[in-house]
Amino acid sequence: MVILEGKNITKKFAGLLAVGDVDFYLQQGEILGLIGPNGAGKTTLVNVIAGVYAPSEGDVFFKGKQISGKKPYQIGRMGISRTFQIVKPFPGMTVKENAAVGAMYGAGGKNKSAKQAIQKAEEILEFVGLADLMNKGADQLSVASRKRLEMAKALAMEPELVLFDEVMAGLNFSEIDEAVELIKKIQKSGMSILIIEHVMRAIKNVCDRLFVLHHGEKIADGTVEDVLNDDTVIEAYLGRRYKELTH
Amino acid sequence: MEKKTIRNFLICGLILLMVVLFPLFNNNFIIRFGTDILMFAIMASAWNIIGGYTGYASFGNVVFFGIGGYITAILMEKAGLHFSIAYLAAGGGAALFAVLIGLPVLRLRGHYFAIATLGVAEAMKALVQNLEITEGNSGIYLPMLDLSVQGQYYFFFYMMLGTLLMTLLITYLVLNAKLGYSLIAIREDEDAANSVGINTTLSKTIAFALSGFFTGLAGSIYAYQQAFLKPEAVFTVHTTVKMIVMAVFGGMGKLFGPLIGAFGIEIISETLSNYFLVAHTLFFGTVVILAIVFTPKGLIDLITQRKFGISYFLENIRRHRI
Repeated sequence: MVILEGKNITKKFAGLLAVGDVDFYLQQGEILGLIGPNGAGKTTLVNVIAGVYAPSEGDVFFKGKQISGKKPYQIGRMGISRTFQIVKPFPGMTVKENAAVGAMYGAGGKNKSAKQAIQKAEEILEFVGLADLMNKGADQLSVASRKRLEMAKALAMEPELVLFDEVMAGLNFSEIDEAVELIKKIQKSGMSILIIEHVMRAIKNVCDRLFVLHHGEKIADGTVEDVLNDDTVIEAYLGRRYKELTH
Repeated sequence: MEKKTIRNFLICGLILLMVVLFPLFNNNFIIRFGTDILMFAIMASAWNIIGGYTGYASFGNVVFFGIGGYITAILMEKAGLHFSIAYLAAGGGAALFAVLIGLPVLRLRGHYFAIATLGVAEAMKALVQNLEITEGNSGIYLPMLDLSVQGQYYFFFYMMLGTLLMTLLITYLVLNAKLGYSLIAIREDEDAANSVGINTTLSKTIAFALSGFFTGLAGSIYAYQQAFLKPEAVFTVHTTVKMIVMAVFGGMGKLFGPLIGAFGIEIISETLSNYFLVAHTLFFGTVVILAIVFTPKGLIDLITQRKFGISYFLENIRRHRI
């Protein structure tokens, strides 16, 4: 089943084309990778899906229902949660409270009391491996922990689909491997994932399919193998030496 | 943990008992002073809901005070209604006004919100000055409370005290409910709050309405106490500034912060004006600046952190780069 579908999505900022006529789909339970050079329009596309921007043209469908034009909080409650590339924790709250807010207001929060949401937050923090830091202030965390908290906030909303916007940027190799394991674990728990990433090591390990944006347009999509060997993709993004370096 | 809660509970109970018994052992002048402190404690606590917890620094909260006062005056004087009805209508009317004005104004953030609320208060003052039903600039009289002089002092003191307790109780309940978390989330990062599923417009509007409600109640009691209202005096921006200074001085975004602030500021300014008749505002300003430099989180932080050493103050200065 297709859980998320974008049709002819175009987003212009005062005439400047950020995303042009992009089609994509995401199967239930799948991890779809979105890659492309800086400024290609990846984050803009995520913002369109999450409702931060309404598309200039085209529509987004979640489980067959049109969601483009809805507000971010409405989309969040429907079962799509997202992380921010530049992480946005609530710095004045503890780690536990941060996740609890997600649990209170996300898709699973409607029938939860504040207390039940806090319990849910504890479970999620255990799941992402932040249980030890639960009572710390969110502003006291390291980069890797902040990225994890960002994911915890999204997962606490009990979504069906998560949008991960560069959750591995700035992490070292061992932290990346941990994050890859976590993302696989999230997939196993039944969620579908759209992931934006520059870290090829992670992309290769977790993605089922890839699609590539360049200057706002889709230049390739397909299996990881096919896309990474595609000449246009190598030209536009990976660079000619990529092949030599990795093979 | 358990022991601590019991101890805190006992301390609060003891303080409350002292405040309740306070009028019985003091003269009317001091009871009136206490009533004023309680009134500002209500208003600073109400400001704290929108300014401290939600992070929207309203510079026009006095508008709710004025509306509460004028609703009371009009309902009692023109419609001949009982104070109890006027009191509730004052709170409800101020809250309704907060909703109506909040829907456009709460779209603004930061300085723009502050300026817009300031404008709303000034506009309301001009409106009240020119309406017939409010009797314009000449002011409006209210019926006197039919009690002995002593009884009147008691009545207003306990009305303010009761309203303050209700304000604190409801704020406490809100903070422990989902709504409270949404307000703090909005203060910390409104975009992130929206993306985790919080209807930020709704939460902000409720916060503003609660703030308006309690401020309106304070205005209502004040109007009945004064028995005469004038727009210039009731809608003065000075009152808003006082609410903010008290909340900041005591501790913004803390339940008891504004309470301590109201108490501290009133005592300090009263003492100073006893000693320095002319220059007391100068000294008062200095005290406020020093307090903000040394305890930017408010006096309540001193109490809860239990750090009185010089290192606490130096740490504050270093952390906030003053």
